[in-house]
Amino acid sequence: MNILIIALKEIKTTLRDKRTFTFMLLFPIILMLILGTALSNAFSSTTPVGDLKLLYKSDIADKQLTQFWQSFSQAIEKEGIVSVPIEKGVDGKQEISANHYAAYAEVGDQGIAYYGSSKKTIESNILQGMLTAFADKYNLAAAAMATDPSLAEGIIRDANDSAAKYVKETSLIADKQPGSIDYYAMAMTTMIALYASISGTLLFWVEKKRNTIVRMIASPVSKGEIFAGKVIGCTVINILLVFAVMLVSKFVFQADWGNHLGIVLVVLVTEVMLAVSLGLVLSYWKGDSARSIVMIFTQISSFIGGAYFPLGNSGESFMGFISDLSPLRWANQALTKIIYNGDLGAAWPAIGLNVGIAAACLFIAVVSMRKKEAF
Amino acid sequence: MNVLEIRNLTKKFDDFVAVDNMSLSVSEGEIFGFLGANGAGKSTTISMVASLLRTTKGEILLLGKNIASHGKFAKSNIGIVPQDIAIYENMTAYENVSFFAGLYGLRGALLKERTIEALEFVGLSDKGKAYPSTFSGGMKRRLNIACAIAHRPKLIIMDEPTVGIDPQSRNYILNSVRKLNEMGCTIIYTSHYMEEVEEICTRIAIVDHGKIIAEGTKEQLKAIITDAKDIWIGVKSERPSAIDNLKQIPGVISVRLEDNVVKIASKGEINNLNQIVQQLIKDQIEIRSVEEQAPNLETVFLTLTGRNLRD
Repeated sequence: MNILIIALKEIKTTLRDKRTFTFMLLFPIILMLILGTALSNAFSSTTPVGDLKLLYKSDIADKQLTQFWQSFSQAIEKEGIVSVPIEKGVDGKQEISANHYAAYAEVGDQGIAYYGSSKKTIESNILQGMLTAFADKYNLAAAAMATDPSLAEGIIRDANDSAAKYVKETSLIADKQPGSIDYYAMAMTTMIALYASISGTLLFWVEKKRNTIVRMIASPVSKGEIFAGKVIGCTVINILLVFAVMLVSKFVFQADWGNHLGIVLVVLVTEVMLAVSLGLVLSYWKGDSARSIVMIFTQISSFIGGAYFPLGNSGESFMGFISDLSPLRWANQALTKIIYNGDLGAAWPAIGLNVGIAAACLFIAVVSMRKKEAF
Repeated sequence: MNVLEIRNLTKKFDDFVAVDNMSLSVSEGEIFGFLGANGAGKSTTISMVASLLRTTKGEILLLGKNIASHGKFAKSNIGIVPQDIAIYENMTAYENVSFFAGLYGLRGALLKERTIEALEFVGLSDKGKAYPSTFSGGMKRRLNIACAIAHRPKLIIMDEPTVGIDPQSRNYILNSVRKLNEMGCTIIYTSHYMEEVEEICTRIAIVDHGKIIAEGTKEQLKAIITDAKDIWIGVKSERPSAIDNLKQIPGVISVRLEDNVVKIASKGEINNLNQIVQQLIKDQIEIRSVEEQAPNLETVFLTLTGRNLRD
């Protein structure tokens, strides 16, 4: 109950803070509108797929499956996708890591194994979409081949008749790319979620400044309850503010948030948790200067994480490596895949990193709090 | 019955001893004055009693129970009025009192009743819906008190509750302290204003360098100082340099200037009044009145600690 009382107080006082409201609500919305409008020409509604390169290794012994694969290769090549057979002694996975190809497929009698590039995420997802549709039929045929070749023959024949469908279907997915307002709706929302770290640094600083921490500690409420109440209240209010930004972008600016809002919200919630915890632990570690550190950190993270301009593929460069360290980058990559490719699995790395780092920060903050006489 | 008992209390900050083996007791119904210059150890002691700081050594008993092992009980029975106003500016007066009372376990109708009662007590019942940002300093101080009393504590610790407010608000607060005491609350009161302490406290402890150097009623404390006297000289104009000259006269312990009155604490056995008057004349200070008085609490404090309370 005490936790709830403190959390509600936290929410109430934040809601009445005009500066927080202006910063956390108006700032991202205005920025979304300005950048989304000003840079609309920089975004294309279609993605050229001519430079998509698929490296493949074919170990198919069966003649029918070989023909099946070749017909698929031809079909995708007609759409401008280059499929390159792997040379002897070349490691396909390393080629992907080296960013030479968007994807690598190992095709055999047992089925197709797919390796996508984490650098060329959009291209990789397009190819994955194509291959997934094809691989379903291929794997089915491969399995049937082992037990009933005549059945497999039928599957392949049917599939060959509509080989182009795989390409056609996936090209629909490839067409679904963010417009400028879509991109900045997502980028500003993830950016403002990261700005919750400022609230984290202020959690106990404000109570100390107002001297109200004295009353709280003097009351028969444990330090743990005070800590939990404040952290929960701060997290909840920041989540509400992030949701508000998201809703405005969706219903006022008609931004596309995809068809999987639930998992999108989970990614955003975990990002807020990460931000609040990070701010909190910094306030224990660096005291009054934590706020400045967090401001610099969030600005840099926003810049390198794609808040102000789309990053595309991060590549192998040093900047690419730095960019991958930004929590905003994790969130934006995950949300892009969820919204535009329907790849729900892409949420897990972002959620895992956010929750993991948040838990570590909270643990350090709790240990620091217990060591201190007050807070 | 002792509401508070402190036994051999010590608090160290690294090598610095802030409170040094202090022992004292406060009986039920007392208004206990706690006097000390800045850094004397009174705030540290109060903070340990209010469980804001851990003790290094010794024990604190509230209503006979050790606060180290009965923390929740102790905290529930203590109300603290911090020196620095501790309220939320963006919560109304009612919300402030209600929030802090809620932390003491008050809920529902009882919480509402006690919140209204506390606001009425400090004369802010008509300001319940107002935000403290619109309050005067005195009103904020009163709200600061309301936040500490809604849960009806047995012991109220008031740390400089009248700092920086107008005389009218100060009187209101002093009357409130008396009323709380009449209602059965025991009060520990610290102030830099010696006249306040003299006016309302039933017993006083003087703290210096983390130790209690004197304790008793104001009469008992004054009786300690038999070899001191106060000389008050009314002057027409003030000149700080003249005060420095007075300090050189044999027997003078301290000199301070307040509202055109030069207040001199001097050793009782030395007859130096003539020298003092002559020095003032020499410094061209026009004298309006001369008065020799028995030592007051401030003289007692000064004689015992060698420091002014405001040092």
